Amino acid sequence: MTFYRYPIIVLWLLAAPVALAGPETLAIVDVHIHYSHDAWQSLPASEAVSMLRRSNLSKAFVSSSGDDGTLSLLAEAPDFIVPVLRPYRKRGELSTWLNDDTVPDMLRERLKSGVYAGIGEFHAFGDDVELPVVRQVIELAREHGLFLHAHSDADAVRRIFRHDPDALVLWAHAGFEGPGVIAELLARYENLWADLAFRSEHATDGAVDPAWRELFERFPDRFLLGTDTNTPERWYYVEDYAAWCRQWLRDLPEQVRQAIAHGNAERLLATVGR
Amino acid sequence: MTPSPRRIVSIFAWLVGTVLAIVAGASSATSLVEFTESERYFIESHGPWPPPVVVDPGNRFSGDPRAVELGERLFSDVRLAAVEGMACEFCHRRDRAFTDGLVVGVGRQVLARNTPTLFNLAYNRWFGWDGAADSLWAQSIRPIIAQAEMNADAGIVRRLFETDPIYRTALSGMLEIPVGELGDDAVLALAGKLLAAFQETLVTPRTPFDEFRDALLSADMARAARYPLAAQRGLKLFTGEGQCSLCHFGPSFTNGEFANIGISHMIPNDGVDRGRLAGMRKLKESVFNLTGPFNDDVTRANAVGTRQLRFRHTAFGEFRVPGLRGVAATAPYMHNGSLATLEEVVRHYSELDMDRLHVHGGQILRPLHLSDEQIGDLVAFLESLGATPPGNTSQSGQVIEKQQYDGHAEQ
Repeated sequence: MTFYRYPIIVLWLLAAPVALAGPETLAIVDVHIHYSHDAWQSLPASEAVSMLRRSNLSKAFVSSSGDDGTLSLLAEAPDFIVPVLRPYRKRGELSTWLNDDTVPDMLRERLKSGVYAGIGEFHAFGDDVELPVVRQVIELAREHGLFLHAHSDADAVRRIFRHDPDALVLWAHAGFEGPGVIAELLARYENLWADLAFRSEHATDGAVDPAWRELFERFPDRFLLGTDTNTPERWYYVEDYAAWCRQWLRDLPEQVRQAIAHGNAERLLATVGR
Repeated sequence: MTPSPRRIVSIFAWLVGTVLAIVAGASSATSLVEFTESERYFIESHGPWPPPVVVDPGNRFSGDPRAVELGERLFSDVRLAAVEGMACEFCHRRDRAFTDGLVVGVGRQVLARNTPTLFNLAYNRWFGWDGAADSLWAQSIRPIIAQAEMNADAGIVRRLFETDPIYRTALSGMLEIPVGELGDDAVLALAGKLLAAFQETLVTPRTPFDEFRDALLSADMARAARYPLAAQRGLKLFTGEGQCSLCHFGPSFTNGEFANIGISHMIPNDGVDRGRLAGMRKLKESVFNLTGPFNDDVTRANAVGTRQLRFRHTAFGEFRVPGLRGVAATAPYMHNGSLATLEEVVRHYSELDMDRLHVHGGQILRPLHLSDEQIGDLVAFLESLGATPPGNTSQSGQVIEKQQYDGHAEQ
């Protein structure tokens, strides 16, 4: 080998890690994982964490029905799992929790551990937010400096901010709203983040839809990714989802891509002091 | 005057006859359930039956009697499989409404999904539980070459067509070039198209429901009243409060699409069945899809649906909405055969686990918490989609193009 080739090899060696850290291994924080009782019955915590790591996630926000599922994952991987406290003790409380006045006390008791970054994911639509239980949940999040992971429509989001203008809200599924409404709310509430869980319409075959591209580029620091493992089966979808996200994220500018993949989640965590 | 014994008998007979007539009249007057305008719309949409015969423009042999005959022969031919004693009818048994009655199919190996019936396939848009095929002929190729099922290949099929004098002679009159000169994929496509030509002829007969529907529409209330009350009440639930007709729509009782109704799609000891999501991927990759070279429709108008197919996360765990005609004869139910009876199916819907369905805002599926009587009524209605009324014969209408039928069914 002649000497003049060495610089090429050195350049290649320097470039290799960058290439390896390309879109296929882009770090992703999945902010919408549930590990509810039917999942933990079929998928042990160690295996569940392995599945998440296999998807090249750098962190996973987990909330579960009930919360013991989240804590078992946290015990397995404290550096990797971000616990979020769900107000549901078990499946089936999705629409009954709103009127269950034992929920706030249950949350208060659990919050004493100080491990949580947020409260949610909970379901509240429209004037559900005016119910005493939901109002207390908003108040608890304010007291403890936590974000609210709200599966809500735009009306409910507005009401949350009316009750607490300083609330930090992670808007699950971006409310399944279109780009117009999402833009309106993101512009109005600077503490509002939106996860894209369960949504497909923003990208087709790796190409980002023009209206969504405009939205992502206008609010690059407000979108996050999430699988939503609402059934045990969907744990097997985490890897597919991450691969799909890496595909469409390639279509965005580098800075936007990194922000949506993991940067915004890290920033949200920093905002709540984690 | 004392009446004679004969007179007494005659008065008694008159009285009995009058009472019976009053009872019958009262019974007739109360033996029709009242349906709302919306329910009547859906009842009408579930017919007429049988629909016009459909010709598949993607299959040049569709409707060709020679192909139908060859396809039927192929359907029973054990030489088509690389597994001893196996043929299509091994799983799709004629005496079991073209199913096998098992929880999941058994080919060369135990499979992950229930064996569906082959009735009324001519009216489908997608094929297989996951819609991995966009034509009946492409779907018919899949089990032939699947290692877990018949484990054959193009060589086996070509040899059969070349060596059996019946196939050889018939095909020589149907093809421009000898079978021996066809490529592997073309030979498989040929087998699929012959099998499809046969399967298109499998149409369920008219049923008590069809008699009721037609009588109701023609305001023949006496005829309509012959339909059992339990079935009528079940039909009212089906088309009304239950909203079943929204997905089990049209004459075949299916919208032809895919849905997740909260049935587990884990495969025992083998991860998860991705359902429609995997089906979409397989379809796009298949050389036999309608955008490919084996589609006989030169206009490619029949490939619009395949070209328009868009990925969506919700497809994970969705399975094809099955038609319901003849459903009582095709137990067990669901993609994995996990529900043994129609009553179990109705109970599943009655007590839906909404946490398993990803719901936001308005929803079609919701638990109805039906009473035992209501469950019985729905089962009675579903059973009435299968029993053939006495003296009835199936009549086919005029021949139309498949796309025309698809359009008609969606209206």
